[in-house]
Amino acid sequence: MIYVENLKKEFKKTIKDPGLRGSIKSFIKPKNEIITAVNDISFHVPKGEILGFIGPNGAGKSTVIKMLTGILTPSSGRCEINGQIPYKNRKNYVKEIGVVFGQRTQLWWDLALRETYSVLKEIYEVDDESFKKRMAFLNEVLELEDFITSPVRTLSLGQRMRADIAASLLHSPKVLFLDEPTIGLDVVVKDNIRKAIKQINSEENTTVILTTHDLQDVENLCDRIVMIDKGVKVFDGDISDLKRRFGQTRELRFVPENIDIMEKLDYKKEFKLSDDDLEIENNGVSVSVRFNSSKISVERMLNYTLSKTHVKDINVTDADIEEIIKGIYRSEVKLDA
Amino acid sequence: MRRIFKIYKPFTHAGLLLAAQYRANFFFFIFGDILRCFINYFLWHAVFSSGGEKTFAGFSETDMVVYIFISFLTSIIAYSDGSYAVGEEIRDGSIAMRMIKPIRFDFAFLFQELGERIITVSLIFVPMMLGVEVYKFAVTGAVCFNIVNFILYVISLILAYLITFYFNVCYGYSAFILKNLWGANFLKDCIVGFLSGGVIPLAFLPSAVAAVLNILPFASLTYIPVMMYVGMFDVPTIVFSFALQIFWLVFFIILQQVIWNACVKRMSVQGG
Amino acid sequence: MKYLRKIHRMFKLHRIFIKQDLKKLMEYKIDFLTGAIGMLLTQAINIFFISVIFARIPSLDGYSFEQIIFVYGFSLLPKAIDHLFFDNLWAIGYFIIRKGDFDKYLTRPVSTLFAVTVEKFQVDAFGELVVGILLLGYSIPRITVSISVLNVILFFVSIFFATFIYTGVKLITSSISFWTKQSGHIIYMFYMINDFAKYPTTIYNRAVKAVITYIVPFAFTAFFPASYFITGGNAWYNIGGTVVMSAVLMAVGIFVWNKGVSAYESAGS
Repeated sequence: MIYVENLKKEFKKTIKDPGLRGSIKSFIKPKNEIITAVNDISFHVPKGEILGFIGPNGAGKSTVIKMLTGILTPSSGRCEINGQIPYKNRKNYVKEIGVVFGQRTQLWWDLALRETYSVLKEIYEVDDESFKKRMAFLNEVLELEDFITSPVRTLSLGQRMRADIAASLLHSPKVLFLDEPTIGLDVVVKDNIRKAIKQINSEENTTVILTTHDLQDVENLCDRIVMIDKGVKVFDGDISDLKRRFGQTRELRFVPENIDIMEKLDYKKEFKLSDDDLEIENNGVSVSVRFNSSKISVERMLNYTLSKTHVKDINVTDADIEEIIKGIYRSEVKLDA
Repeated sequence: MRRIFKIYKPFTHAGLLLAAQYRANFFFFIFGDILRCFINYFLWHAVFSSGGEKTFAGFSETDMVVYIFISFLTSIIAYSDGSYAVGEEIRDGSIAMRMIKPIRFDFAFLFQELGERIITVSLIFVPMMLGVEVYKFAVTGAVCFNIVNFILYVISLILAYLITFYFNVCYGYSAFILKNLWGANFLKDCIVGFLSGGVIPLAFLPSAVAAVLNILPFASLTYIPVMMYVGMFDVPTIVFSFALQIFWLVFFIILQQVIWNACVKRMSVQGG
Repeated sequence: MKYLRKIHRMFKLHRIFIKQDLKKLMEYKIDFLTGAIGMLLTQAINIFFISVIFARIPSLDGYSFEQIIFVYGFSLLPKAIDHLFFDNLWAIGYFIIRKGDFDKYLTRPVSTLFAVTVEKFQVDAFGELVVGILLLGYSIPRITVSISVLNVILFFVSIFFATFIYTGVKLITSSISFWTKQSGHIIYMFYMINDFAKYPTTIYNRAVKAVITYIVPFAFTAFFPASYFITGGNAWYNIGGTVVMSAVLMAVGIFVWNKGVSAYESAGS
């Protein structure tokens, strides 16, 4: 369905010295710096899957989405969706996809919502009959009825997002791209949007690719996640895979009476663990140790710690997904699925 | 005076930075606008070649050309964004914030504009002046730069700028009633442009009309400074013109103050 | 048949957006009216300016007052029509590219140029259109124009192609923003050259004439075609030139635009 191979995008950035002299200099002889926003990314998405694309700000998520939707042309590598190459024959390709950018609407600010859909109907050449049916369906899923006569500029953020998603689905696309579809929304609205995405995915077998910062989105929606950082893929697998691999991680947190005591504690040496299995964070007051509980038991960990230090407080917790992802971002460990 | 400069210096600095940022774009805009001067130049050239007469309403061809370019320069320098800025603040309500601050609203604007003006003036004043003088030299074959006229022009230009500024701030207040969108400002610019002699010297108009326009504040904005530069005013007219400019400046400063006080009063009565 | 359907769809889209902009006009009635009065006044002042000149000379470079008015009025029509339908190109140069808002046009299955231009119908242009028609209405009976079927056709043909000289210039200059992020100031600089077209090109020196004939050929939007109707001569150069220049500019414009679209680097990450 979607094949991405060695996708790469480089941007040329002109470096300009400050001041008038800098402007003139950069005009006469521009100095360029090449920034690699996306580097050698490959993945494959089967039909009907919901794929979550996650990563920190500036990781290159949006750049990938923009290449997949035909907005940007890749510097090298290829992507193929439904047997089509997005940036070639763009007009034909985009008929089969729907795109929503959470940060900015794609709708026309001054048009009433109903009018917006009439415009899209003409643009996507949807015939009258299917249009009617489709509107009824979208109305049911996204509850547009209350504000369909209002101009887009008067909609609340949540309404606008529903309207945008409906707009992207009007022509029954095979693939739906959602760039931060829940950004800035309150919990209830987020939940409704997720339900709607799920419903459309299961009823129409629409393939969905979404980027998000919200891990709730990932847990509730995604069959699989691809994580990228600094333009490079760092994880590709399903949620259970992620949990299985990292679900053994426990976190020991304690507040020692004297933080200098940490010099005496050397977990790595004591238990002969690699960096992948153990990670220590010391913020000067408390210490947190993330460790792989299949390699070293919680009991031994606790005993060792308590034998060396006096603590004011201590506890052990399971790491949640957010913690796992944070850990991966932090350590930048490259993981192959 | 020193204290005033100290308080309002940050505004000037902000204006300077803003203008510096758009410096490159500014040249393109000026170039686009200056084309109109060249059209008028060719048009008047054709006019002077068509008719038998050497002068029209006292203007020789050289005078006319100087008038075209210097009036353009004057309108660029004695220009104010005041009405847009005030209108904008009234519409988005941020003017209320100005009222509770211990600084003068008009000075804050003025000093910010002065910052922008420094850039504008330094970029176009010298080249255009030089261009006009070179033209005069090329046509007459003699250096005819008149330092007295130049000084009179500069003084009159500064007055013109201040009048423009206060006039625009006063006009900006009409946003309370007119909502001052794009249309109202466009209409104002159009009328002021004509009445100030920016399109055609007031001397070309029927004498009764010209007599009235000469007294109105608009003549002080472009026509008077330019006539000083061209040197077509006799001494009594010069004295009278300066008096007129000062009168209009004082008039608009007072008017501005009156409106401002009324606004503050209304605001405190209504509670913002 | 397929193309007919396509054209039908295009008109439907235009109709929706035109309705929208007219509705907005009714919302901001006062603003539109004051703006329109300003527009009319600007033109009236220009006409007054010309009449002040003609009060002192019988003819300008061999042209009578009425002939000059005809050229002036003619110049307003293509300008107004371009203004009416292709005004959004300014927004491309000023902010659409800079803010990364061009993305949305790329996700639509229609040409980007069509998607950009269709969504704005600039009602302000009515002012120029009305003044242009009034000036032609005033001047035509007062000058010797032979009104024949052929001339009426040629009139509409020349207005049509002259419009695309404006659009072409805007298209090329606004496309620059695909590389530089913004080009509003460049559009402005070139667009302003159109003012030269309002008067007979014979009053200008050779350099200016060359520029407005061959480089930024605004002379073909007014003086050349208008002079055919005034003198009845040189149809091939005066009208044909308009057609050729218009076609060349649009071809270059569309080429540069397409190059620009593929060079477009959407802002943000």
